[in-house]
Amino acid sequence: MSDILESGSTQRQLAMVLDLNKCLGCQTCTVACKKLWNKDSGSDYAYWNSVETQPGRGYPAEWRETGGRDSEGAVKRGEIPNIDTGYGRAWNFNHKQTFESSGKPGAQKEWLRPDSNPKWGANWDEDRGAGEYPGSNHYFYLPRLCNHCTHAACLEACPRKSIYKREEDGIVLVDQDRCHGYRFCVEACPYKKVYFDYERQVANKCIFCLPRIEEGVPMACARQCPGRLRFVGYRDDPDGPIWKLVDQWKVALPLHPEYGLAPNVFYVPPMSPPQLDARGRPTGEPRIPLSYLESLFGDSVGGALETLVAEREKRKQGTPSELMDLLIAYDWNQSFALGPKDAEVSLG
Amino acid sequence: MKKALDLIAAPTGIQPGNYVPVVYSDLDGPKTPTASLEVEHSTRGWRFRVAWPCPEPVRDTGDESDRFPDAAAVLVPSVGDAPWVTMGAPGQAIGGFLWRADRETLQSVRAEGLGSVQRGEAKGVRGLASEWHSGEWSLGFEVAGWKELDETHQVAIAVWRGSARQRAGLKSISPGWVQVTT
Repeated sequence: MSDILESGSTQRQLAMVLDLNKCLGCQTCTVACKKLWNKDSGSDYAYWNSVETQPGRGYPAEWRETGGRDSEGAVKRGEIPNIDTGYGRAWNFNHKQTFESSGKPGAQKEWLRPDSNPKWGANWDEDRGAGEYPGSNHYFYLPRLCNHCTHAACLEACPRKSIYKREEDGIVLVDQDRCHGYRFCVEACPYKKVYFDYERQVANKCIFCLPRIEEGVPMACARQCPGRLRFVGYRDDPDGPIWKLVDQWKVALPLHPEYGLAPNVFYVPPMSPPQLDARGRPTGEPRIPLSYLESLFGDSVGGALETLVAEREKRKQGTPSELMDLLIAYDWNQSFALGPKDAEVSLG
Repeated sequence: MKKALDLIAAPTGIQPGNYVPVVYSDLDGPKTPTASLEVEHSTRGWRFRVAWPCPEPVRDTGDESDRFPDAAAVLVPSVGDAPWVTMGAPGQAIGGFLWRADRETLQSVRAEGLGSVQRGEAKGVRGLASEWHSGEWSLGFEVAGWKELDETHQVAIAVWRGSARQRAGLKSISPGWVQVTT
């Protein structure tokens, strides 16, 4: 299995697979992550885990256009998203006025609303998607987090070597004692998943729930997911879900492989019902255009979808399908393979 | 001693990592082309005054994700002729003081090469004053004792223009050590 880990990489690589066919867009993962790790006021705007609607501008807005890699994988000048127009500033709500007004007979009712005039936010373009109703409209949810890349752009961009990749599991971390807040990492990451804490003046990012992992417990985003769409394990474990989905079945693909960073978060691409013609008859063309999925997940997405459709058909016919059983996650224990200490997951 | 300095862009090609050397070019010249440096020695210690043009001051980065403050540094080699452009070298440290427009006090800095800067609390500094007026920053402070400067009589400056998002190795610097005459 050692050939799975590219030369120059770490001894092992922790990885995650997300089945986009099962994402509900409920943001439970986002809240689980935010509440656990990222409550500092200096990064109140930042979501280490976010779920965005695609096709869409995403979070931060237009992140694909502002990253530090071009479509050939060459290093290019990235941008630091603006907190108002890129990320969207965190806002408070007028809860007090709303509830007070509702309790006073005859008083003018206050609507619950933000106390500012936001310009953007996480999943701002929720459920907008693309296409024309009713024949071709479509959207799907894309949960995003740090990819803990094998060749991490953030790590390579830091002039202070403040970002490092753990030898034992490949988790990419920021040493905040070394970080001087220069934000070249924010600029360079083409996935825009490194953030700046403007109060503490340091970078921060997803830590793959490192303290949980060390106790054999999956990441909060994976553990709390009601749709059971996340799979966690090591890239080189042939008995784990990652190897099965990425290497055996080849249905889990990295996001924007053309950036050349070898991300370690993979996605099972979304299948979609057929488009309808003017008379409402199925055309046979999927609603989510293959070309769009290829723009996200590369040229292998067509083969992955063919495998998924074929295995789903087998299951519909009553024939066993190891792939479908794994993706359905009948047995949650099979979704997480974190080593000998992963007893916690049996509670699920 | 008072000198007018023509600054240069710190060379980006030698900066650590694979990003800054590739995407940032120093070919356009320094963002801050000139500065004046005044150094006086007395029984109270060393007194510095640095002034440089800055048409659009950035005094505060507030709660923004993409703003950088104006800044300047006065640095001295620990041993004579320690390399300046590379922020010293292993065994040839440089050290001094960093001023940022968004802070009320100076920070001490020490480095033994690019990417190795350590910041700390500045000690022995008096009379810190900074002012932006008519398109120019002026910065003044006194240092009670500075053994390395007593010995080497060499000093250099670096200036970061916040409005141009300058930070780290993106800066304008004196072309070399300036010999201090008292």
